[in-house]
Amino acid sequence: MSSSPDNNYRFEQAGASDDSIQQVHAQLQKQKPDKKNGYSFLPLGVLGLMCSSVFFGSIYLAHYSVRFDPLVVNESAKREKPGAVVVTAVPPAVLGKKVFTTICAACHQVTGLGVPGIYPPLAGSEWAQGNEERIIRIVLHGLNGPITVEGKDYTNAMASLGTVLKDEQIANALTYVRQEWGNKAPEVKAETVARIRAEVGPRTAPWTSAELLKIGQ
Amino acid sequence: MNSTDKNSRAEQIEIDASAKWPVLIFFGSAIMWLLLGGALQLIASIQLHTPDFLSACAWTTYGRVAPAAQNALIYGWGMNAAFAFGLWLMARLSATTLRHGGWLFVAAKFWNVGVALGIAGILGGYSTSFELLEMPRYVTLILLVAYAMIGVWGVTTFSIRNTENVYASQWYLFGAAFWFPWLYAIGQIMLLKAPVRGVLQPVVNAWFVHGLYGLWFVPIALASAYYFLPKILGKPIANYYLAPLAFWWLVGATAFAGGSRLIGAPVPIWISTLGGAANFLLVVPVVVIALNFFGTLAGNIAAIGSSITIRFTLISMIGFVLASVLNFALSIRGFAQIVQFTLLTDLRDWLIFYGCFSTAMFGAAYFILPRLTGLQWRSSALVTAHVGTAVLGVLLLTVGLAYAGWTQGKMLNDAAIPFGDITKAMTFWFTFRSVGLGLLLIGHVAFLINFIWIACPINSRGTPSAQFSNPPDLKLSNESVTEGHA
Repeated sequence: MSSSPDNNYRFEQAGASDDSIQQVHAQLQKQKPDKKNGYSFLPLGVLGLMCSSVFFGSIYLAHYSVRFDPLVVNESAKREKPGAVVVTAVPPAVLGKKVFTTICAACHQVTGLGVPGIYPPLAGSEWAQGNEERIIRIVLHGLNGPITVEGKDYTNAMASLGTVLKDEQIANALTYVRQEWGNKAPEVKAETVARIRAEVGPRTAPWTSAELLKIGQ
Repeated sequence: MNSTDKNSRAEQIEIDASAKWPVLIFFGSAIMWLLLGGALQLIASIQLHTPDFLSACAWTTYGRVAPAAQNALIYGWGMNAAFAFGLWLMARLSATTLRHGGWLFVAAKFWNVGVALGIAGILGGYSTSFELLEMPRYVTLILLVAYAMIGVWGVTTFSIRNTENVYASQWYLFGAAFWFPWLYAIGQIMLLKAPVRGVLQPVVNAWFVHGLYGLWFVPIALASAYYFLPKILGKPIANYYLAPLAFWWLVGATAFAGGSRLIGAPVPIWISTLGGAANFLLVVPVVVIALNFFGTLAGNIAAIGSSITIRFTLISMIGFVLASVLNFALSIRGFAQIVQFTLLTDLRDWLIFYGCFSTAMFGAAYFILPRLTGLQWRSSALVTAHVGTAVLGVLLLTVGLAYAGWTQGKMLNDAAIPFGDITKAMTFWFTFRSVGLGLLLIGHVAFLINFIWIACPINSRGTPSAQFSNPPDLKLSNESVTEGHA
């Protein structure tokens, strides 16, 4: 050992010359370590470490980079591609509200209460919440009074809407009516409307309440 | 291939003589900044648990003292020490004298005047808002020009080398000589000269800060360990054939790792993810470098007791590994969520700069300065005091701040605990840090006194001279290497 123990840290002796350090290490850089049993663990271990760090690094990068999107600052953000169309199902009652307010509300009012003595109410109405076969027919072909709703008689006529509205619009509007203002009745399917339209066939005369009451009894 | 011992020693004396004044100037300025920066750091630390301390004067309020301390330590102590060590080692390993000492002298003056103006600017309230770039803009050009005058001699010395082979320390020194101006110039241009907009600013700043630590201070510390281990132990670096891999891998990955400082920040998520992935990759060079260093030390435990440089190198290596582990842990999102903005993130940067880099420079100084001046360190008690405070300080601060940071993070994440209570609970640990920093400062004063005795022409008159023996040639040990097989 070149540094004598009694020097008490006053200065250091070197254990190797600069020249030889460079020469020896230049040689070492080219040589692999001794393979004692024809097998050396270290190079393989380092290779394994390199591969696994690249592997896990790439997975981490792919998982948390969120497409390298410059606008995404949160790793738990939605991962869909920007511009991808996402289909969300809108409840039929919501779609039906639009049809109701543009067409039906003119007589039956937005409140669904109608006008006393002239237009019958839908809110709480036994007709609206009753058999769907009847009310689909009313909307498709119209109704000629008299009709009794919630114990009151109405003699007005309702125009046919079957040519104006599609099956799906009728179904949605009826579903809205049957589930709004405290009404609780199952939704009306567009297929049911289509079936009834086909069953009844071309008909120009409006229904009467007597005819309707026979259906579904 | 073998040169005669006498010739090589004679050459080294010539090299040391050429490097003497530039290196002494750089080391001397470095130690001055180390003490000034340390004092400022202590003031800032005390203000965290005793808020009234020196708070009456605007110049000494926390918001100015803390960045001033950081900049004084980084650009004053860190850069000067790196210049001193880097130029000397580059000359030694290139087997050529350090030319143009006069230019280096002028450059050293410019650099230190620049730093002094910068620190005064920060204390006067003209600091910028970017970490480690707080010095006002008017010093940028002084620093860059001064650096160019220093760095160019490091590169020139390498390019006129008289040696056949290039050693690992030279890779790191040569690389660092280019990485610093690259980092600093880009940081200055993109943040202060022609600022990028909004969210890009913290990204550039994080890249700069991480780069300054990882591509300037760490390479210098590694260059020192790669040199002093074989130099003093007289034993080649273990598994040296892996060192080039570690070098390229470290450089490549560190350049991308800056984003890991921005986990949870409102910047594009891929930036912090990329930084985290780069920190995963850094496991490879850290393992290889640890194998190199600790493999060389293994079986030479006795040398740790007999060499002060090896002791400091050992602290530096442990600091490097700990800082790397902390860096890796802080890239894990779950962990960062808890400990970000606590004492633990401070600890990471402090470990790189003090635990790894500064201790390496102390070790280098204890080896280099007796050779430049031909004198011994006069007081071995002061040397022991320096290394003792460094060991104790690094140990206490690492364990203490790690525990405190974890506790602080836990409390900060608990919405039920009012912020004031957390500050109160942390008072003990802030005091603890002040004590640790004070302890280190005592060691630095001991270092300064010994430095004055060895380096100042007037004060060094009574110091006994040192006699260096011709170092033996390093031998390839048969145990570690067989004959080359294709």
